[in-house]
Amino acid sequence: MSDLPKPIAERVQHMLPRDLLHDLRTPLSQILGYTELMIEQMTDSGQEEFIPHLEKIRKAGRDLANMLTDNFQSK
Amino acid sequence: MPRILLVEDNEMNRDMLSRRLERRGYEVLIAVDGQLGLEMAREESPDLILMDMSLPVMDGWEATRTLKTAPETRHIPVIALTAHAMSTDREKALEAGCDDYDTKPIELPRLLGKIEALLGGTEKTPVGDATP
Repeated sequence: MSDLPKPIAERVQHMLPRDLLHDLRTPLSQILGYTELMIEQMTDSGQEEFIPHLEKIRKAGRDLANMLTDNFQSK
Repeated sequence: MPRILLVEDNEMNRDMLSRRLERRGYEVLIAVDGQLGLEMAREESPDLILMDMSLPVMDGWEATRTLKTAPETRHIPVIALTAHAMSTDREKALEAGCDDYDTKPIELPRLLGKIEALLGGTEKTPVGDATP
């Protein structure tokens, strides 16, 4: 945390875990959603050469979403 | 074709989710805040509502409570969507009258399962990867 520019470090420290999680999940939702939409569209149009790359983005995004849920989510 | 009202203020989530639902054969109506969602539910009588909870003007909890107390809209199933994923958020959504609850990032097969379960009693729903 000490390596971050002060305003960001301060902001993160003062955020409730619940709001921080929400603000991380919102862009992650968009990254995953559009990646999955592209996989669906490319599967339909037969542009299969790009799908393995998109699957990697998707997997990294899902792993990050699961990590947030498993490690930072209180009851 | 089942008609789904998507109430979502985030432009990218709205565009992405409505396109993915349309690819599965649903007709998607859009509202960008809780108040407009309420008006559209009354006017269009959709088969199901996907309601984001953190909405401007009127939030998803209040919009759902209002829908569920009005005779003309109370029968419409509502699925709450939220990027908050605490167990208290789920309870709060169900208390407001939501029929089900799902979290963002959306896992589409899981959400489709919930949509089909709630629509199942009334009409035939599209299955799997049917594309228009």
